[in-house]
Amino acid sequence: MNQTTRRWIAVIALSGIFLLDGVTLMSAAAQSVQPDPQPLSLDDLAALDALIEEETEGAVGSLDEGALLDVGLLALVLGFAIVSFLKKSDTLKVVSLVLSVGYLGFAKASLVSVVDVFGALRWSLPAFQDGQAYYLLILFTLVSTVLWGRLYCGRICAFGAMTQLLDRVVPSRFRVEPPTWLDRRLTKLKYVLLGGAVFYFMATGDTLVYRYIEPFWMFTLNGNAVMWTLLTILLLATIFVRNLYCRYLCSVGAGLGLLSNLTLFGIKRWSECQTCKLCEKTCEWGAIEGPKILMSECVRCDDCERLYADEARCPHWLIQIFQSLKRAASRTGQV
Amino acid sequence: MTLSSSAAWFRLASVALFLLATVGARVAAQPAQLAPADEAALRRLIPKADHFELVETGLRHFRAYSSGLEPDGRMEVVGLAFFTTDLTPRIYAYKGRITTLVALDIGGTLVGVQVVHHYEPFGYFSIDRPEFSEQFLGKSILDPLEVGEDVDAVSRATITVEAATRAIRQGARQLVREFLAKRTTEP
Repeated sequence: MNQTTRRWIAVIALSGIFLLDGVTLMSAAAQSVQPDPQPLSLDDLAALDALIEEETEGAVGSLDEGALLDVGLLALVLGFAIVSFLKKSDTLKVVSLVLSVGYLGFAKASLVSVVDVFGALRWSLPAFQDGQAYYLLILFTLVSTVLWGRLYCGRICAFGAMTQLLDRVVPSRFRVEPPTWLDRRLTKLKYVLLGGAVFYFMATGDTLVYRYIEPFWMFTLNGNAVMWTLLTILLLATIFVRNLYCRYLCSVGAGLGLLSNLTLFGIKRWSECQTCKLCEKTCEWGAIEGPKILMSECVRCDDCERLYADEARCPHWLIQIFQSLKRAASRTGQV
Repeated sequence: MTLSSSAAWFRLASVALFLLATVGARVAAQPAQLAPADEAALRRLIPKADHFELVETGLRHFRAYSSGLEPDGRMEVVGLAFFTTDLTPRIYAYKGRITTLVALDIGGTLVGVQVVHHYEPFGYFSIDRPEFSEQFLGKSILDPLEVGEDVDAVSRATITVEAATRAIRQGARQLVREFLAKRTTEP
């Protein structure tokens, strides 16, 4: 192939590209020129009337399939959590935590937030037709807190569930337990944060503050650099201090802590609990203080209740067995 | 010199009446005011219009005019616009109402959508994104305009997107219906 032929090929190829480019540009321009709008005809007006009519009729309390599925799945997750709680089973609790993280967390990002407290204060709540699942979650949270305490924090909240699962995989040698005097002071911090957030909201009307005091947005996977940085610091700290956020920083937990003063069905205590410290040492939430259970800190994790029922470990049973042996011995002695 | 009490009351009443009448007349004579910020936003959404008016009778909305005249000498209406909070005040999203400025041409096509204000916690990754507003452009009020059909759903921000879309859809349909109804009845 000589030089002239090559030149010609190059010229033809280039002009071909230019030509194609020009055609695409022109057709794009032709598309972008919008024709003058044609006013709607009377037929269109009738169609419009029908559309408006249809929507007005369908608006009243209609539960479409999507909403029905949401409500159904949420009811399943909540129901399972209740079963795991009533059965006091650790295995079922782990399944319940996994369900919370997976479904309520990463699938739906549906967590009770301090924004809901703001909404309740301003009586600005979602339309019922869009939020049936939302209302079910809120109702469950309030009712279960009044019945049993911060059950929501212990197994429904996706973030709490996530840090509890994290705690199960992190080697225990990393763990730092804050001393009791510090722990008691830090638990008050969440009330300060809740009060501060509510005050800030009432003063400015800004709801977006939630992003910097709550990590729950993480399940939406949408955050800015500051938010991701704060979250990373929080999660790193949670490796060393377990349930750090739930115990010291969560404003929703603070709100539910206040509500749990009304709790109807608390945790049973034996008379031996006056002196025994076994549960107090076992509690991962620092919620047992001598004979007393601090309902505002307790998330109904079942750890101490499983201990009470354990006849091989709880002194209550050991003492009973000891006493019955003694009785038996004295009886045989009499004979 | 002291006035008798009935005369004093009469004077007082007449002064009050005069003041009331003057202020009342002023207020009545005041044409509906178009806020400069609203006008600027309208200009962005309907660039081909040269003049905007606020209409406060019936559904509160804006009319956009071009300098061309209609055959009867009136200025030609080239577009309509409204705030969703004016037409569908009862549509609440996750947290309160979403204020969206919506512009239409007289063919019932959406030509501009701007989310102005809201309290939505998940708004920053759903309705605040330009993709949300842009997807409405060129759609007709006769289109479904429904999330999941011709409007994109944003997972984990369902309530927000549903409510914002419903407000745009219902407001636009109501306004166009009223506008056309007036057109057909007016001589």
